[in-house]
Amino acid sequence: MSQAAPLPLVASLLDMPLPASGIAWLDAARQENREAFAAGGLPDTRVEAWKYTALRALGKRSFARGDAAATSRAVAASTFALPGVDGPRLVFVNGVFRADLSALDALPEGLTLQPLSQALHGDAEPLRFVLSRHYREVDDAFVSINAASAVDGVVLRVAAGVKVIAPVQLVFVGAATHVELAWHLRNVIELGEGAELGLIEQHVSDAEPTQLATVVSDIELREGAQLHHTVLQNVAVIASLIRRSSVRLHAHAQAMLHVLELGGALVRHDLRAELVGDGARFDTRGVFMPHGRQHIDTQLAIRHQALSTTSTSTWRGVANDRARGVFRGAIVVEPGADGSDASLGNKNLLLSPSAEIDTKPELEIYADEVKAAHGATVGQLDERSLFYLRSRGIPLAEARALLTAAFCRAVLDDLPNEVLREHLSALLTAHLPA
Amino acid sequence: MNDTMTRESITAAATLRDNAGVAEALGRSYAAGFVTEIEMTGLPPGLDEETVRQISAIKQEPAWMTEWRLEAYRHWLTMPKPDWAKLKIDPIDYQAISYYAAPKAGPKSLAEVDPTLLETYEKLGIPLHERAALAGVAVDAVFDSVSVGTTFRKQLAEAGVLFCSMSEAIREYPELVQKYLGSVVPTGDNFFAALNSAVFSDGSFVFIPKGVRCPMELSTYFRINAQNTGQFERTLIVAEEGAHVSYLEGCTAPKRDENQLHAAVVELVALEKAQIKYSTVQNWYPGDENGVGGIYNFVTKRGDCRGDDSKISWTQVETGSAITWKYPSVLLRGDRSVGEFYSVALTHHYQQADTGTKMIHLGKHTKSKIVAKGISAGRSSNSYRGLVKMEKGAEGARNYTQCDSLLIGKKCGAHTFPYMEVKNPTAIVEHEATTSKISDDQMFYCRSRGIGEEDAVSMIVDGFCKQVFRELPMEFAVEAKKLLEVSLEGAVG
Repeated sequence: MSQAAPLPLVASLLDMPLPASGIAWLDAARQENREAFAAGGLPDTRVEAWKYTALRALGKRSFARGDAAATSRAVAASTFALPGVDGPRLVFVNGVFRADLSALDALPEGLTLQPLSQALHGDAEPLRFVLSRHYREVDDAFVSINAASAVDGVVLRVAAGVKVIAPVQLVFVGAATHVELAWHLRNVIELGEGAELGLIEQHVSDAEPTQLATVVSDIELREGAQLHHTVLQNVAVIASLIRRSSVRLHAHAQAMLHVLELGGALVRHDLRAELVGDGARFDTRGVFMPHGRQHIDTQLAIRHQALSTTSTSTWRGVANDRARGVFRGAIVVEPGADGSDASLGNKNLLLSPSAEIDTKPELEIYADEVKAAHGATVGQLDERSLFYLRSRGIPLAEARALLTAAFCRAVLDDLPNEVLREHLSALLTAHLPA
Repeated sequence: MNDTMTRESITAAATLRDNAGVAEALGRSYAAGFVTEIEMTGLPPGLDEETVRQISAIKQEPAWMTEWRLEAYRHWLTMPKPDWAKLKIDPIDYQAISYYAAPKAGPKSLAEVDPTLLETYEKLGIPLHERAALAGVAVDAVFDSVSVGTTFRKQLAEAGVLFCSMSEAIREYPELVQKYLGSVVPTGDNFFAALNSAVFSDGSFVFIPKGVRCPMELSTYFRINAQNTGQFERTLIVAEEGAHVSYLEGCTAPKRDENQLHAAVVELVALEKAQIKYSTVQNWYPGDENGVGGIYNFVTKRGDCRGDDSKISWTQVETGSAITWKYPSVLLRGDRSVGEFYSVALTHHYQQADTGTKMIHLGKHTKSKIVAKGISAGRSSNSYRGLVKMEKGAEGARNYTQCDSLLIGKKCGAHTFPYMEVKNPTAIVEHEATTSKISDDQMFYCRSRGIGEEDAVSMIVDGFCKQVFRELPMEFAVEAKKLLEVSLEGAVG
């Protein structure tokens, strides 16, 4: 994969001193990951995981690191305010922690919420396991450069048995700068035994930043922990965002994710779940709605590794204009994961003759006491439903809008926070073509 | 004739079912190594331009054909070996293969044929007069089939159907071969297709002229007259405007063959309103129960619906080969053309299969249907990989895909990798897949009605595959069912 001359993107991301933490194992891991990125470069479309997402155009661009003004940039609270959400909050602007915008007072007992930079100043040892990982796979390029370069991020812990119901809000803001900026954030989230957490993760922009951001999150759910996680990605359509979220679920842990992918120029989200404990359950509901020239790629991979684990996934895609939506939903049932029950559905709508949807549901099954099914469709609105509405006097355009909105909103049906659900639903509708 | 065959098969199987001793002796062991005298006159192992020229010379081919082969060979040299499939393949030494072997002398009569092989034929219900031909007994020793074959040949000629070996076609109908050969699978299409184009030894050529409906299933004729076409087979079937043909390749009987690598190419061309139905039953040596030996079956099969309202249908039953790696595809170029793919792939012991199809929709209102059934047993790995592509011009195109996997045992794998690429908003693509095992409830139901374990499994498997078997020519459907039974022996319990 190594090129004769590194691509401008690779060169620019490498063209900066490694952050020095003063922690030997962390510095060593950063060095290692940096070398892996330098050696591997960017994956091309011959790499299966990047088949439908070409990095050629992005690879030709250079990005600067470090926004010196990030600590003082004015960012309006309206950028990230959400109705029905008024809990603890951690805000980053261009990859830098902003105490002034965060809400960390009066954290409920048993909840640890702090920026990674602070956590490393204290006892870094609990973070060692996650942060000393090496990423060398061919499709890990952005994760390895993130692991080498990220100096901040979220550290969130919920102690065993503690229930944090008012959702914790994590906000990642990209703000416009006079240079094209790259920034990286690394999040570590852990729920202790029987803990419960409501979590909202927001990716937003202030003005129109032409930047590249990488966000890598490791989420661990101990025995019986429960996570309700809502992700709202609504960055400006000129910003590129590449994320990897890895969720590990121990016995009887449960995670429910709602994901809205609305903004961004080139957006890629690798969402990986490992069900390592018996009886664990992982549910995802997601929608991606690229329009204009957006490219939104979601790579969902769920590994059932223990007995009687369950996963359900419902994903919707709507592509308009010249946009491209990419979805891969892979379910792996490993040997011995008997009693696993996995289902995945991905339905897509193509609204324009120049848009494209590429979808790839996969099943890899190595156990026989298993129920696994997936389905995927790409098409247009059901003619009969349209006819039904029109026969009741609803004009065609309105009927289309109604059905498309209903198609997308299906993924929000089981979102418990009603006020938030209405808000997100309105956001989806606003994203639909008039 | 079909009726007789079916009845014969059923009686034969019924007798056998009672004969537990015979059944046990058969097991899953594969009969090979029964060739007594081998006279080899062929090329020594190795591959270079000279080998390609020699093959062409032996076949007395015209200069353009030699050039065509050489071009393919030169292209092949520049191609990397593909490695993207979910397969573990031991490296192949292309210089260790002999690229041309003269037809080998087989046993002189049925008496010389390995009795276990004959028993397998018996079990599959293959008609007596065909067994000799299948076992490789020299055709002139098989009186019945010669006469049957001659009758068929006459009938085909009257209809104007051209059906001959590829070498004969190159000599007799060069203008047709030149026009169509490589027009669906170009010489440089992929690594194995390029290799095949350079060194193919022989194969079949079928040409159905305008408006002709082939008077018989070419399968019937083909089975009796099947020659040992070697490991690099090349098949070309052309159906002109409004022509119809049904063709069957291979047979349920275990095939006598010592070649390890099989890289065949099959090209189908359907012009306006033409219909081609291509059925494959593949039961090559799968290796022993420890995964030693067995055939690599790396085949490029592609049909081109060139004319409007044309139809190409692939049906395959794959039970043999250590590794099966193929994707019979259809290019739906003509408006309203139809592509179909029906497949049963069974793997047992250490067999591996990565198979599926590609439906490329280019024309308006084109339709495709995919039904794939995978059965994994033992320690095998069975993957479905399929592509459905709706190009910009595919107005109102439609695809429906269903692929189901059945797992028998705890050590096997069943995988599904469908790719859907849609660039037209009026096209509709649907894919569904399920993976399951034979449930205890199903087994209990059968057992409680006095059906033995193995019979119950084969009944359930048969039901699972019904949708595909329905598409096979009738006598083969009967054999295919039995073939799965034989192949699954020892999978349960």
